[in-house]
Amino acid sequence: MSKSTYKVPIGPIHPSLEEPMTFNFEISGEKIKSIDLAPGDNHRGIEFMGRNRNIIQIIYLAERICGICSASHPFAFCRAVENAAGISVPPRAEYIRVIIAELERIHSHILWAGVAAHELGFDSVLYLSWKVREEVMDILEILTGNRVNYGMFMIGGVRRDISKEQIPRIEKTIEYYKEAYQKLEDVFLQDPSIAIRTKNVGVLTYEEALNLASVGPTARASGVKKDVRQDQPYSAYADMDIKAITPDMFSGKVNGDVYDRIIVRVLEVKQSVEIIEYCLNHLPDGEILSEKKIAKLLGILKKAEGEGVGRHEAPRGEVIHYVKLGEGESPEVWKARAPTYNNLMSWVPMLQNQEVADIPIVVASIDPCIGCMDRATLVDANTYQKQVLTREELRKLSIEKTRRMMQ
Amino acid sequence: MSGSGMLIFLLKIVGALVIAVLGVIIGLFYKGVDRKLAALMQSRVGPPIRQPFLDFFKLMVKENIVPENAVPWVFNGAPVLALVSTVTILYYIPFASIPALLGDSGDLILIAYLLALPAIALVAGGFSSGSTYASIGAQREMVMMMSYELPLVTTIIALGWRLSLAYPGINVFSLEILSANPIWNIVGPLGFIGAFFLLFTLAIVTPAELSIVPFDIPEAETELAGGILVEYSGRNLALFELANAVKMVVMASLTVVLFFPYNIAQLFSVSGFLATIIDILFFFVKLFVVIFFEATFIRVAVARLKINQASVSYLIFLSTIGLMGLLLIAIDYII
Amino acid sequence: MSPKELLSFLKKNLKESILDSRIDTNKEGIKQEEFNNIWLEVEQSKFRDTIKLLATLQYPHIAIIAGNDTGESIDLLYLFSIYYGEKFKEISINIKVSLDRKKPSIGTITDLIPGAQTTERETKEMFGVEFVGLPDMHNIFLPEDFPKNVFPFRKNEKGLDELVQNES
Repeated sequence: MSKSTYKVPIGPIHPSLEEPMTFNFEISGEKIKSIDLAPGDNHRGIEFMGRNRNIIQIIYLAERICGICSASHPFAFCRAVENAAGISVPPRAEYIRVIIAELERIHSHILWAGVAAHELGFDSVLYLSWKVREEVMDILEILTGNRVNYGMFMIGGVRRDISKEQIPRIEKTIEYYKEAYQKLEDVFLQDPSIAIRTKNVGVLTYEEALNLASVGPTARASGVKKDVRQDQPYSAYADMDIKAITPDMFSGKVNGDVYDRIIVRVLEVKQSVEIIEYCLNHLPDGEILSEKKIAKLLGILKKAEGEGVGRHEAPRGEVIHYVKLGEGESPEVWKARAPTYNNLMSWVPMLQNQEVADIPIVVASIDPCIGCMDRATLVDANTYQKQVLTREELRKLSIEKTRRMMQ
Repeated sequence: MSGSGMLIFLLKIVGALVIAVLGVIIGLFYKGVDRKLAALMQSRVGPPIRQPFLDFFKLMVKENIVPENAVPWVFNGAPVLALVSTVTILYYIPFASIPALLGDSGDLILIAYLLALPAIALVAGGFSSGSTYASIGAQREMVMMMSYELPLVTTIIALGWRLSLAYPGINVFSLEILSANPIWNIVGPLGFIGAFFLLFTLAIVTPAELSIVPFDIPEAETELAGGILVEYSGRNLALFELANAVKMVVMASLTVVLFFPYNIAQLFSVSGFLATIIDILFFFVKLFVVIFFEATFIRVAVARLKINQASVSYLIFLSTIGLMGLLLIAIDYII
Repeated sequence: MSPKELLSFLKKNLKESILDSRIDTNKEGIKQEEFNNIWLEVEQSKFRDTIKLLATLQYPHIAIIAGNDTGESIDLLYLFSIYYGEKFKEISINIKVSLDRKKPSIGTITDLIPGAQTTERETKEMFGVEFVGLPDMHNIFLPEDFPKNVFPFRKNEKGLDELVQNES
């Protein structure tokens, strides 16, 4: 070729991306020279919608920011509102919240592991991981009634109790995952063909992780010991001794590569199982909601004023919701931030000078959740149209097409 | 042309058609078996064995799209070339006790060349489709070709050379002669190990020829969205799929003919028509075993390599193994 | 440093630039572990100095900038946390800066914390805040052809119908 570099777009729709997002790469041979990130293909204007809803309606909206983080966003949101309005949560509810949040973490990490294996072209491991994941989805369905979007969280507590009869079932799940963990460790951490593709690939150094404000497993894999569950006491995590997991616990050193991110996630599955076990053994008795009548709760929230921040360690990292309660039913400000938002920038140093073949696994290695990140704008307008279409025009186009088809 | 010559000529044409159709059917069948077995190993239900046939018919009725900035004659010609060249190889391979259709006019060297043709067709098709993904895929396919040709040729040369030492003065690259004199019979213990190395080399070249995991780098679904084939659809894609299915049979038959040409009809002390049928059935069983180990098993057990990793493993590691095989056979002959 | 010491340290250095401050303490869990949120309001001109001051203690982690259009001003709330990495030591520092609604402008902190780029770009698009020193890049969340003078998160914009109009 006459030119030394050429441009390759990955996205908005591409098999290695689970969600729409555009990367524009400039490539020389097989090496990446420059990267331009262009998110925004998945905007649904969730924060904007929140302006017209009351606090309790927003919980369900927050749950739908992302399907996989559907415990993390309401968790952080509820905590933000509780902090703002000064509502206290009964201890039993705190423990149930943590159980759900940790089950979600197991679910999310194993789902990610499967996706990562698929990106490497290792489909057998994809099927194995997703088979293992079924168990946690089953238990979530038993506990909450849903496999995703659990509908479990409420301001001041949780909506469903864990009954005595359910506890043996959860214990069975814990046993299942203790066994499955060995299998995951064997497949991901001992397998040479995964190591050959992930070691020294997509490196994010300690300094870069700090500078770019990375969160979650992405930051921890680079040696930044940052984990909301460890850093600040909140919910039932305040009663536990949780340590941020860094790859040196397993391999003795920190490289900050994709392999280290795998280590962190696999070890966190084990950690989550231990947390759930602790919660089950120490589950306090008592109420699960501070205020059972929703109408009364809404009244309290309407009167309340103030601002609050809710942080929670979602599977992908710190999720933070900021709520300012003002006059009226809906919050004056609601700001939701998902971990991918912060980790977005870390793609740039990770992908620089890597090969084309590494793009999928490096992109997947931060476990991106574009739906979470892109939550904040207006219309899901077609960016490739020269003009933004109004609803009427779209309707007109649609009618025209129907007519054409009928002829 | 005399009457009998004319008859033979006609018979050969009919035979060519029959072999082409049978080759395609057998290829698609084995492809279905391969998919089903892979699914079972991955604890999935998997598609029915007839799925490749359904896929083929579906693709045939789909619209055949030629991209705007493609070069149409190359783009459309490439799949035809790929299929024709792979089917042609079938005419040179003896099936069980049935001699090859064109056995007297071509040998292993010709097959080595014909094997490169589908890959070249793919590269031409990829470059002509005018897509960045396809171009990257085509570049990778070229690198792959350059990498796996050396070990492949090493194997072929080693076998022929050893045979020529044993029987001077015959065409040692003729598949008839190669399959009549299996390498295992003419070498000593050291040569036996050498021959095993050669078998291993051929077995690892096969996944690259068929571009399956771990060597599906030119197609790399998650990286290049199908890479070299990304712009192909409809009839053209169907032809590539057929070519790939036939190539699977070709590569497996080659392994069988070169290394496991034994027949079992004598064991049952039958002869004539019945013996041929038993031999053919046995041949299919051998094909199945070879495909299972060379394609299905490898595909399920490992992750995709990067292009430089694949290139290094072929050019350095596998070539070394092939040359060691050659060396062992040589030492075995000398002592 | 305890939250109180941290606050007095900031007050000592920034003096009257701190317009407002308070500490929220939450008690969490059965063991009633304490967690502190420091809320500050600083003058716009001293904001960068505040961040530099924080950076002398530990590299501050920026979570997000939450904007709020109050009608008179545009308030930006920077959510930071420091002292992370140790058990229950983290302190949340939320710094509010009030900007003139007619021409909101503030110095960028991307030279101090490169990770703030995404959130600054988002705030720029959504609220029309000018970040002095932030390189001019394409829209991060809004479509490229989105009208340049419309800022979706300002309160005078009333909804989808008015907002998404063809320019023609």
